[in-house]
Amino acid sequence: MTSKPGREASIYLAPAFVLALLVVLVPLGFVVYTSVYSPAAGFSLESYTALWQSALFRRSLLTTLEISAMGAGLSLLLGYPVALHLSRLSPRTRALCMILVLVPFWTSILVKSYAFTVILGKQGIINSSLTWLAGSEVHVPMLLNRVGVMVGMTNYLIPFVVFPVLASLLAIDRSVYRAVEIMGARPPLVFWRVTLPLSMPGVLSALVSTFVMSTGFFVIPALLGGRKDVMLANLVDFYTRETLDWNMAAAIGVILLGIVTLIAGTAMQFQKSRAIARGA
Amino acid sequence: MEESIKHDRLARRYRWLATALAVLVYAYLVMPSLIVIPISFSASGDMSFPPKAFSLGLYREFFTTSTWMAPVLQSLKIASITCVVVVTAAVPAAYALVRFEFPGKKLVIMLMMSPVLVPVIVLALGMYLYFSRLSATGTTLGLVLGHSVYVIPFVVVTIAAGIRQIDPAIEFAATMMGASRTTLFFRVVLPQIVPSIVAGALFAFLISFDEVVISWFLSSAQTTTLPVRMYSSIQWGVSPVIAAVSTLLTALSFIVCLVSVALQPHARQGSATEAPASTNLQTVPA
Repeated sequence: MTSKPGREASIYLAPAFVLALLVVLVPLGFVVYTSVYSPAAGFSLESYTALWQSALFRRSLLTTLEISAMGAGLSLLLGYPVALHLSRLSPRTRALCMILVLVPFWTSILVKSYAFTVILGKQGIINSSLTWLAGSEVHVPMLLNRVGVMVGMTNYLIPFVVFPVLASLLAIDRSVYRAVEIMGARPPLVFWRVTLPLSMPGVLSALVSTFVMSTGFFVIPALLGGRKDVMLANLVDFYTRETLDWNMAAAIGVILLGIVTLIAGTAMQFQKSRAIARGA
Repeated sequence: MEESIKHDRLARRYRWLATALAVLVYAYLVMPSLIVIPISFSASGDMSFPPKAFSLGLYREFFTTSTWMAPVLQSLKIASITCVVVVTAAVPAAYALVRFEFPGKKLVIMLMMSPVLVPVIVLALGMYLYFSRLSATGTTLGLVLGHSVYVIPFVVVTIAAGIRQIDPAIEFAATMMGASRTTLFFRVVLPQIVPSIVAGALFAFLISFDEVVISWFLSSAQTTTLPVRMYSSIQWGVSPVIAAVSTLLTALSFIVCLVSVALQPHARQGSATEAPASTNLQTVPA
C-alpha cells in the first residue's frame, strides 16, 4: 500500500520534476564542474586560487556582503512602519493599502531602474529642483554610486519585508494589547516591549530573505551603481561575457551558492532550535 | 482622569507619527512607477519633469520601430509559451504535493523550489554553460525552458494554496461514488481551483515577461527580449522611448495586481494576510 501513493504522486509530479532535474540541477552541476575543470588544465582548483589572489574578487566579495547587509537593514527600517500601519487597519482598508505594496512588488526592476535614473541623475528631478530652489547650479551625486544602489535595492526589497512582518504582527493576540493598555503602559513602551519582540519571527525571516536576495543582485548595481559597487553577480557577468573565462565565472557562482546555502541553512537551524525550545 | 487624557493624547501622537512614516514609505514605493507616466507623454527627446509639451510621440516611436517591436513580440511569444508549459507542469505537481504523502517528498520540494533560493545569476550561468554545450543558447526553446523552471515555484505555491482551500470531503465523496483518480483530478479538483489557476497563469506570464537575468545570458541578437532591450538601453544612454515602455509595463503590473487581489481564495473574509500566496516564497532574486 505504501508504494502506491508514491507511484500515483510521481505521475502528477513528473513534468515539473523532470524540468527541474534537467534545467535546474544539471545546469547547477555544470557550474560546479566548470569551476574545477577546464579542457586546457584538466581538474584543478586553479580558478579558486586565482580568485583568492585577485584583488578585484576580494573587493567585490566585501562589497557584496556590505551592500547586502545595508540593503537588508535599511529595507527593514523602512518596511516595518508600513507593516505596522497595515496591521492596524480594518481588513477592507488593508486590502486597499496593500495595493500600494503589491504594485511595486509586481513592477519590473527595469522600470524602477529607469525611473531612478530620471529622478536621481545629474539633470534629474531632485537635482533640478534643488538647483531651482538654490538659484544656482546644484549637483548632488546620487546615481552611479552607493546612494543609487541603496535607493534601488530598498525600493525593490521593502515588499519582501512587509509580507512576513505583517504576518507576524497579525498573529499577535489582540488581548495582549488590551491587557497592557489596562495596566497603563505608555505607547512607546508597548511598542518596544510587546509589539517588536512578538514580531521578531517576521523580522528575522525578512532580514534573512532580503540579505540572501541581495547577494545575487545583478541589475541594480549594474544600472544604478558605480565602479566601486561591482557585486559578485556583476563579476560573473564580466567573466562570462567580457573575458570569456568560464572557469572563473563558475567559481564565483559556486562561492555565491555557498554563501546563500550557508545563510539560509543557519537561519533554518536557528528557527528549528527555537521551535524546539518553545516545545513546538 | 487627567492622566488618562494625557495618555490618550500621547497614544494618538504616536499613532500619527507611525502613520506619517508609513505614508512616506508608500510614496517612496509607488513613486518610480508613477513618475514614468508624465514623462512618457512628453514631446520625444524631452526628458525633463514636469514635461513642457504633451505628445504621444514616444508611443508612436515605440509601436512603429522594429528595434522595440521585435523584442516585444519575442517577449510575448516566450511569456505565452512559458505560461502554458508552467501551468501544465505546476497544477498536477501542486495537487500531488498537497494531497499525497510519499517517501522523498521533502527532496522533491527542495529541488522544485530551488530556483527561488539559488541566486538567478548562478542559475542563468548554469543554463548558459549547459545550453552552449547543447548549442541551444540564443534559441527561443532555451529561453522558454529557462523561464519555465524559474516561474514554476511561484505558480506551484499559488495553486497549492488554492487546493488547500477546497474541502477534501468532496474528493472523498467522489471516490466513494467510484470516481477514478483521473476523473477526480479533472472533474472534481480542477473545476474548484480555476481562480488559482488563472492567478497562477497571470503570474507566470508577468514574471516571464519581466525576467531579465536569464534572458540576458540566454538570448541572442535575434531572440532579444524586451527586458534585455531595456537593460542595454538604460546602460548605454537612455532612450526616451523607455518611458513609454515603462508606462505600459506599469499598467500591466497594475492589472495583474488587481486581478490577483480579486482572485485571492479568501479575499472575501479578509483573512490573515492579503498578500498573494506567491509572495510567501519571500525570495525572488533580482
